[in-house]
Amino acid sequence: MSVSVMVVDDHPMWRDGVARDLAERGFEVVATAADAESAVRIAKAVRPEVVLMDLNLGEQSGVSATQGITAALPDTRVLVLSASGEHNDVLEAVKAGASGYLVKSASAADLVAAVRETAAGNAVFTPGLAGLVLGEYRRMAAAPAGSEPAPELTERETEVLRLVAKGMTARQIATRLTISHRTVENHVQSTLRKLQLHNRVELARYAIEHGLDAEG
Amino acid sequence: MREHPSVPGTVRQEDPATPFWRGTVLLRIVTLVFAVNTIWFHQNDYKMPGLAWLVAGVMTVWTGVLTYFYGREDGRRGWLVVTDLVLSCALMFSSIPIVGADQLRLQAPLITTLWSSGPVVAGAVHGGRTWGIVFGCLVAASNLFPRGYFDVYLAEDTVLLIGAGLVVGIAADGARRSAERVRQALRAEAAAAERERLARSIHDGVLQVLARVRRRGLEVGGEAAELAVLAGEQEIALRALIATGPVATTPDGETDLRPRLQLLTTGRTQISVPPTQVLVPVSTATELDAAVREALSNVDKHAGEGARAWVLLEDLGGELVLSIRDDGGGIPEGRLAAAEAEGHLGVSQSIRGRVVDLGGTVDLTTGPGEGTEWELRVPVGRTK
Repeated sequence: MSVSVMVVDDHPMWRDGVARDLAERGFEVVATAADAESAVRIAKAVRPEVVLMDLNLGEQSGVSATQGITAALPDTRVLVLSASGEHNDVLEAVKAGASGYLVKSASAADLVAAVRETAAGNAVFTPGLAGLVLGEYRRMAAAPAGSEPAPELTERETEVLRLVAKGMTARQIATRLTISHRTVENHVQSTLRKLQLHNRVELARYAIEHGLDAEG
Repeated sequence: MREHPSVPGTVRQEDPATPFWRGTVLLRIVTLVFAVNTIWFHQNDYKMPGLAWLVAGVMTVWTGVLTYFYGREDGRRGWLVVTDLVLSCALMFSSIPIVGADQLRLQAPLITTLWSSGPVVAGAVHGGRTWGIVFGCLVAASNLFPRGYFDVYLAEDTVLLIGAGLVVGIAADGARRSAERVRQALRAEAAAAERERLARSIHDGVLQVLARVRRRGLEVGGEAAELAVLAGEQEIALRALIATGPVATTPDGETDLRPRLQLLTTGRTQISVPPTQVLVPVSTATELDAAVREALSNVDKHAGEGARAWVLLEDLGGELVLSIRDDGGGIPEGRLAAAEAEGHLGVSQSIRGRVVDLGGTVDLTTGPGEGTEWELRVPVGRTK
């Protein structure tokens, strides 16, 4: 069965180009959206397997759309497509539940491979994202301890993330560390999961502290 | 001494010390009234009352002159402040013939009384704490000398004069510094807003077209594919450029290392950085930037056709780690040493030299077919 994909981008030219690329390679593009609000609404209706999310959605941010989609649809995976260098947005989107990040200038072949990986439940990490995640863990470790203990990387996870950030593929890393390819994937995913969990806990605490959890 | 930093394209800001100058003028007028009253009160005790009234006239005229010039930004000149000091001290010394040495020894006030504290304040406002202290010392000396004795009251005068110079000087320095900071912040804000406007326009227009050309060109193939590759290279460079923050400097002479490195992004070079600022002194940033460029140009020259490179910047708190890795052919054993022996100092000089000068270390891992990886470790003296 072909993978169902939804494309979110505020530029029609880009959106249609990507949609056609994916359709030509056997993906089923079930919907497109141009802004954060309709992205969440449409995604809830069509329940795609993968959402390709642009972070630069004009006035609104793709981060909030990512948050909305992953919260409502636990089986839907969000792959962020963005210009390189939008550090904080990319990191925020990943914390909000995106399972991968690809630069917009990536080739069509890379894009297709990334969508396939995402649909298969793997994290798609560019070296850039690995650098951001590494830096984020170090920032949290250096920051004064809050009421919620910050997640930490194991030594092995740090090692794997550093190698990803230096451009090595999962296979190369597996060879270098003499572990299995699957183990490398697990390490990478675990670094994301810990960040996302921490983010959810923080958000929940914020909501409780500010009375946003009140019924009605 | 005092410069007016001019901001290109903006109106020049008001002198941040203007309120201090107003205060200086006010002090001068109030103390003049005090001085003239004192002369009127003591005129019958003076040796030379006529000359005393002449001094009163000079003080009045000079106070008027200062009120005029200190009231305008271009009138607050160093030479005027110094002239004020010299004139005031001279008038203080004129107390010797006018009041008479005997009277002075009996604790009669100097002819200028409080009016002569004015130059100390003006000097401190004009030149900051150093001027304030120097002016304070000179006026205090002129306050002591004509009297020919020293007691606890004169000691108090001395401390007050020098202390006033110091305190007003510190305040004036502080006002100028904070005004400069505000100015820098405003400038940075304006630059960021302008940058955002440009970035949005590029993102909405040029980039969409380039991306389209790249995708379509590759599909069509042939000559169009060549155009697509060119468009793709420009797309990557342009995206890196607009996504990168401005290369700005903080008032403490530090700069974020990340934007400099990110500008090195190309179709074959990826840069990975932490999500938060990596502040280093500008000189350190320049050296590291140059070292990374050298390593990357080495990749271009020697790693072989189609080799890709990755740069990773890590901030470990007290230490920065920069890794530059390529997937090229690697450097055969002995090749670097041989190059050095032949006098090609490129790699060793530019990378090792720069990093060692910063107190860091360089680690090179390479081998035939394994690519090359540089790891530069540089200590940063930060408390953060």
